[in-house]
Amino acid sequence: MKELFQVINDPRFHLLYGVTQRFSPGPQPDRVRLNRENCKLADGVTKKALVYPYKLLAEHSSPLKGDVFSPIYGKISEVSQSSIFIDAIEPDEDLRQAAETVQKTDLLSAPQRGEELRPLLKSLGLNTKSLGQHCDTLIINGLNPDPGVTWAEPMLLAHQETLRDGLALLRRLSPAKRILLAVPKEMRLHHSDIEVAHVPSQYPASVNALVIKAVTGQENPEGVGIVGLHNVWSLGRVARTCLPLVESVVTIGNCEYSGNYIVKDGSLIGQLLEFSHITLHNGDTLVRGGPLRGESLEKLDRSVTRGSTGVFVVEAGTIPPMKGHSPCVNCGACVLICPARLSPSILSRNAEFALHERNLDEHIGSCLECGLCGYVCIARRPVLQYIRLSKFKLAEAAAARGKALAADEALGMIAADNAEASAEAGTNNRAAREQRGGN
Amino acid sequence: MSSASSGSVLLAMSVPSFWHCGRTIRKYSLFTILCCLPAAAMAVWNWGLPALRVMSLSIAACVVAEALCEKIMGRQIEVDDFTAVYAGLIFAFLLPADAPWWLVILGAVICVTLGKMAFGGLGANPVSTPLVGWAVLAVSFPILMDPNAVQLSTDFVDPLVRLKFFGAAGADAIPLLDLIMGKQINGLGAGQALGLFVGGSFLCATGTVRWQISLGFFLGVAALAAFFHMSDPAHNASAFFHLCTGSVMLGGFFMATEMGTTPLRPLPMFLYGLTGGLLVMIIRKYGVWIDGVPFAILLSNMLTPYLDMIRPRPFGGSRS
Repeated sequence: MKELFQVINDPRFHLLYGVTQRFSPGPQPDRVRLNRENCKLADGVTKKALVYPYKLLAEHSSPLKGDVFSPIYGKISEVSQSSIFIDAIEPDEDLRQAAETVQKTDLLSAPQRGEELRPLLKSLGLNTKSLGQHCDTLIINGLNPDPGVTWAEPMLLAHQETLRDGLALLRRLSPAKRILLAVPKEMRLHHSDIEVAHVPSQYPASVNALVIKAVTGQENPEGVGIVGLHNVWSLGRVARTCLPLVESVVTIGNCEYSGNYIVKDGSLIGQLLEFSHITLHNGDTLVRGGPLRGESLEKLDRSVTRGSTGVFVVEAGTIPPMKGHSPCVNCGACVLICPARLSPSILSRNAEFALHERNLDEHIGSCLECGLCGYVCIARRPVLQYIRLSKFKLAEAAAARGKALAADEALGMIAADNAEASAEAGTNNRAAREQRGGN
Repeated sequence: MSSASSGSVLLAMSVPSFWHCGRTIRKYSLFTILCCLPAAAMAVWNWGLPALRVMSLSIAACVVAEALCEKIMGRQIEVDDFTAVYAGLIFAFLLPADAPWWLVILGAVICVTLGKMAFGGLGANPVSTPLVGWAVLAVSFPILMDPNAVQLSTDFVDPLVRLKFFGAAGADAIPLLDLIMGKQINGLGAGQALGLFVGGSFLCATGTVRWQISLGFFLGVAALAAFFHMSDPAHNASAFFHLCTGSVMLGGFFMATEMGTTPLRPLPMFLYGLTGGLLVMIIRKYGVWIDGVPFAILLSNMLTPYLDMIRPRPFGGSRS
């Protein structure tokens, strides 16, 4: 019933686009901007230093995040708090020779398994954070993550060799006993070496929690992990090239055109758009990530970051403009569409008036952030943004409470009114002792 | 560096989602107005220019009143979303075609001020906007608001009055085709059953209004009417008679479904419609009001907050 009457009447939401063409290589960047937040710069990474492809630039402080490598021959033009900028240069003989010294690592013949494999992957620029730790069943989400993003199908159908190697690595890494590949139900795919699960293909079906539900039949079950298809592709890419990861697959598109490219990390979006012959006009919106969940960028010299699914231009005039002040009109479209069965209308109104605590009673934690509420809102309210704001404020408040609690504990003061917060048995015992002493 | 990336283009910053279904408040109102047009055309056909006069007057009064309210409240004037036009048109549908001009204007102004702007504007009103104006006038000027008392120069009869005072036999004497074609004394648009049915079905089919509400409403009316009819055919007319008379068609498709006054989930919507429909028949059978639809809808509007408490378990969580 629900499926019959609440399907969004937009062909772009059917996450099967019939695109099977292999990925084209993206442009050779003139300039790259690499994120170095929480990274320790490698030796010799300073302004004006010359770099060559696959040269280590910075090590990430987290053991689960990959290190940063240079994707091009170039000269470092700036090192800021958050970014490293490299201008491309024509390499001379010395630089070429330096580039030859890059060691190749054959991951597939490496002896490490499980947790031991992680440091090796990190040193090859791979993030291992979301590759399925602590789970018995691991699902590979083989759907296009957002409407408009089209790289999942060609990845599954035309880049099987890369995926196969990625899968081999994933098997060595993950403790999961069962690994499944979730693909759209209409897709004819026969992999001999992996169990394939067919799941619905209408967005929001590609949201991780909904893929897990479609495969297991349960909502947020224990012991089930999920990993994006792109992560498996990245593993496979490193396994095949034996070199650190310096590229990712993105869909670049506007309302008429879209294409999938393997682009170098840190490529500037302006250059990518020019490369794919997309011209921008005043008033257009530039989106990094998917059109439903991504972020809008203010200038063209921002770069593609790890995990960006695409770069989209939404032309001015193709969607109704957002007004500054647009109160909720209670039409209920968001309530009907919400896959988490929440009331985005109430959530957004609470956030609008800074009543974030009330959103806890409205189960804001169940929100899957699919972005459909904003898509259907006839008042053009930034519903998802309001919900994200509320989540952020609640997390902030919780962190502040945690800090205050820790400070109290350190001072040996137990406030009488934090009885509900004192879940720890020790605190309870102490309070009970004090009470007995008082009596 | 290319010219495109040198900063000559001004980009619009926005927030997700960057795609949109294209539905806006203005399109919603234009669509609902469009779906009222068959009934409006039939009203002019059956009642002539007086009907057109009342409709135009009501719409104009609503739009002007809303603009003035917004001006006084220091808000941006947003009559270009056409919601006032829609409210004015629906209010006019409830009036007799020969209603005096001051009555139309007074009612329209009450609709917009008391029924909408007093609560903060579109979607914030707890009960249906046109019905607030109707209710105030119906209680204040019962004779002038009674189409049977005002429409003197017509050959049509008021089917509900016939039913009330002459029994089911009197009601059965009116050909059903006349009822469908709007040849009955009624509010000028409320009686145009065919036009309202066509427009309303279109609204439901396109998802502009929620079909669960309309279905519940008509089921409520038809079920209770059929029950009464079966238990005592001499005093009760058929379900079909009740569906085509009074403002059942107008209420079920256009008034009960008004944005902001209804529950938002499928089951509560259906229950809300059903309650409204049952109330219509209860008022018609046992109440003093001959039609019953306006008060039935106003009452079920009041139930909305309670029905909204029926809600499913959130994803992966517990109900609590």
